[in-house]
Amino acid sequence: MSETNGFEPKIVAYVCNWCTYLGADLAGTNRLEYPPNVRLIRLPCTGRIDFNLIVKAFEMSADAVLVSGCHPGDCHYTAGNYHARRRWMLFRPLLEALGFDLRRIHFTWISAAEGRKFQQVIAEITESARKLGPYRPYEANGESKWRPAGLPPPKRRSGDDASLRTTARELLAEGKAGVVIGRGERGPVLARKPEDADRLTWNGASKIALTAYLKRKEVRALGKPAIVAGPADLRALNVLEQESQIRREDIHVIAAEGPGAAPPDFSDLDALLQLEPGERMAYWAGEFDRCVKCYACRQACPLCYCERCIVDKNRPQAIDTSAHARGNFAWHITRAFHLAGRCVGCGACTRACPAGIDLRLLNQAAARAAERQFGYRAGADPKAEPLVGVYSLTDKEEFIG
Amino acid sequence: MSRIITEAGLRELAEAWLRDGQAVAGPSEVKLGLIQYRPITAAARLLFDGFVHPANSIKEFFFPRHEPLYRYRLEGSRVVLEDCEPPAVKQLVFARPCDAAALPVLDHVFNWDCADEFYNRRREATTVVTLACSRYDDECFCTSVGLGPAAEQGADAVLFALGGGAFEVRPTTAKGDAAFADRTEESDRTATPFAGPPRRVALPRVEFDSPVWEDATLECLGCGACAYTCPTCHCFDIVDEGNAAGGMRAKNWDSCQFSLFTLHASGHNPRHAQPRRQRQRIYHKFHIYPEKFGPILCTGCGNCARQCPAGLGVLNVLKAIEASHAEHLPA
Amino acid sequence: MRNIYRPELMQVIDARRQTPDVKSVRARFLDPAAGRDFSFRVGQFGIFSAFGYGESTFNICSSSNWRDHIEFCFRKTGRVTEALWEIDEGDTIGFRGPYGNWYPMEEWEGKNLIFLGGGIAMPPIRCAIWYALENRERFGEITIVYGARTVADLVYVDELDKWAAGPGVRVIRCVDPGGETPGWTGEIGFVPMVFERAGVPAGNSVALVIGPPVMIKYTLPVLDRMGIAPQDIYTSLENRMKCGLGKCGRCNAGECYVCKEGPVFTMEQLSRLPTDY
Repeated sequence: MSETNGFEPKIVAYVCNWCTYLGADLAGTNRLEYPPNVRLIRLPCTGRIDFNLIVKAFEMSADAVLVSGCHPGDCHYTAGNYHARRRWMLFRPLLEALGFDLRRIHFTWISAAEGRKFQQVIAEITESARKLGPYRPYEANGESKWRPAGLPPPKRRSGDDASLRTTARELLAEGKAGVVIGRGERGPVLARKPEDADRLTWNGASKIALTAYLKRKEVRALGKPAIVAGPADLRALNVLEQESQIRREDIHVIAAEGPGAAPPDFSDLDALLQLEPGERMAYWAGEFDRCVKCYACRQACPLCYCERCIVDKNRPQAIDTSAHARGNFAWHITRAFHLAGRCVGCGACTRACPAGIDLRLLNQAAARAAERQFGYRAGADPKAEPLVGVYSLTDKEEFIG
Repeated sequence: MSRIITEAGLRELAEAWLRDGQAVAGPSEVKLGLIQYRPITAAARLLFDGFVHPANSIKEFFFPRHEPLYRYRLEGSRVVLEDCEPPAVKQLVFARPCDAAALPVLDHVFNWDCADEFYNRRREATTVVTLACSRYDDECFCTSVGLGPAAEQGADAVLFALGGGAFEVRPTTAKGDAAFADRTEESDRTATPFAGPPRRVALPRVEFDSPVWEDATLECLGCGACAYTCPTCHCFDIVDEGNAAGGMRAKNWDSCQFSLFTLHASGHNPRHAQPRRQRQRIYHKFHIYPEKFGPILCTGCGNCARQCPAGLGVLNVLKAIEASHAEHLPA
Repeated sequence: MRNIYRPELMQVIDARRQTPDVKSVRARFLDPAAGRDFSFRVGQFGIFSAFGYGESTFNICSSSNWRDHIEFCFRKTGRVTEALWEIDEGDTIGFRGPYGNWYPMEEWEGKNLIFLGGGIAMPPIRCAIWYALENRERFGEITIVYGARTVADLVYVDELDKWAAGPGVRVIRCVDPGGETPGWTGEIGFVPMVFERAGVPAGNSVALVIGPPVMIKYTLPVLDRMGIAPQDIYTSLENRMKCGLGKCGRCNAGECYVCKEGPVFTMEQLSRLPTDY
């Protein structure tokens, strides 16, 4: 007590209704004492635990968080815990890249019969949190001098502009496409009349992913779209197809290259991970301090296609809309997680950000885990099962106690 | 005769304000290739030249992106309110003329009928020093909206680069005079006028019912990058943050480009498609605001075009409007 | 520092369920001085708040003659209205206002009044009805046509009888076909048709028409056929608002800030506004 100045950590435990909650109950009925520091929050299933809740707990000054549910094979809903496990395999690397102290984030399986395990887990977590001291993750100390090398300049496309324009002109003239989505000298071009085709060029400017236009209802209203697709666009189309957002036959694709087979360049992320967690958090706090919540990252993204984004939902308001540290961290964490296993690495979020925040690094944290743990690359194969949404009995769980 | 100050003198001025516990803000390089207006803690971080325009605007120092209005505390069925006030410190803001010029324009909306003291307090507490431009880029169009590289509107003092790290100082208000008192030297050097960007567009008549909106703004993806980096855009939201015990009500930036901006509870949305939202932005700047308050709501800084991920921006839309008028002229 | 965004606190003295998803609330200023100083004109609106949830804009639907309390009425549709739904007698809410313009009741004096309302749009008409009834001698014949989708969607049903009992007041209630109940004694049909059938004499009349866009769309030709000029037909717009002070920038229809120059417009004024509402 004396060495921690009387500090009593607050632990938030999200537990499943069917196993761990009953385990806690059993600990109670068996008069097994455990520290009163824990606030139990009962949810139907670990598979139902939104990562917002973890973020929310830290926002509300939790010093450690526990998620606990049924042992593999015991899920009341058959497989909720397997889904949770897989999502955690992607979420933990994201929190790691952000510089969260992973020693404060725990995951266990505790059955209804394991009252004693519940008691021990709570005691251990409380003790470790007490030793670690109070946690205020976003109030980063100091300023990080680290800077990523940044996105490489866009590669030159090998296509020929004259034939691109001919193709687009014909598609529009013959009514085979209502709009050709491509790049022009100044930015994206939505060619609707045959003569607009002359504005298209393979190597035009665009800070956004052209595939982002496929979600716009104003663009969909123009009729069948044709899209001048680079490798990242092709990968995005694959993911959109995987997720039943488009049917490939409804889109005319003009491409000069394939979706690309080279492994993504994670060098900036690797460098970020070389920093101490505290400095990583300081880096992001500095970056997010410039975020004004203009949502250019979301709007420029081909895979942020929700009709109503979670940040725009207010019942409940899961993410503060204010552009302060809390609101900005919650927003970027949530967005990155929603793109876990889905981001095709087009870099549009980073290019579109008026505040120069290299958001790509967050998406890469999950992408790298997907690559290394599952050999999965989003958008490589339209027939692959989406990474998040399925599970495997052999998913690794070395982080689960 | 003119009054001059060296770059070192300007930094010393900033340092003096910081030493006094006052705030200083200005262009600073936040990362390689990205210059933004930021609050600064060391005068060495101030940039005076070598760039055209920071990637944001100075409005944040008068109308912050997030401003607590008051706090509430719930005690049973009783509610206790506590007012919030802007910080009492004085601010010294180094700006481009096109950013400063937005301030007298914004004064109108924050003061017509009733005064927004959050804005006014900050405005009163701030001394704005602008540095007349000596370069421009393709997006600059101040000369098309009646301003120019040395516009004095909203500035308390205007600096002119003389070369060799010296600046001519022309205070325009008492605040500006006070800021430079005893800090300048007499000189016979004066700045050579700089013409600024060519006139890029004749301000066209902006019509509400026009095919140009659909034709020229369909590329807009509906983010707020233009509005949030614009020195004059001032739309805001009022939100509660807190829980059953207490919290705050705050004024947050908002943008007319967001689809939820005008969505009614009934589901009806008067601006249900992006071209309508673009129309609102342009119409507001060049028709609504001047009709109501006199000045146009644009200083030609070009940030909207520089920051638009889709390559749009006010100037491009104005050019499209101009072209559409030309098309409709009898041959 | 004067804080224009700070609300007055009000205590709820009555919260009543009008329909399964509409409630009316009466509230009184907690600070008696604020209550004494407060006055408004019928047709103006207030910005009401549930602390922790936010603010929402509603018409003040009580008569301006009532000094004891003000009343507002809302449908449960969003975050704030869900929170307001839960409030009860004794609870504290916030109020800013009154804002906006009002019904020109003085100009309406000596004229016949036609009130046409649909569904949840009755509250902003109710304040004018009460005001007219309380100053009965200043106005001519009063016709009230009030319709809703079903019987259960009618609000202030208990007051309809009180209004009907007034001298020279005709109240016609109606529900959409299929919305009637076995004991329904009112009309069956849509407001514009029911109103036209009623054969109300149109001379020297002003009409206040508030309801869903489709109701207004079909009502205007009826009024036109009756010879009521657009400048004698009034409505109240409900553009989304946040500040109510002409600053936040979202309620405008063209150069008209609905929170300042509205919400009350004649059809003649609306015809000159861009269709941004």
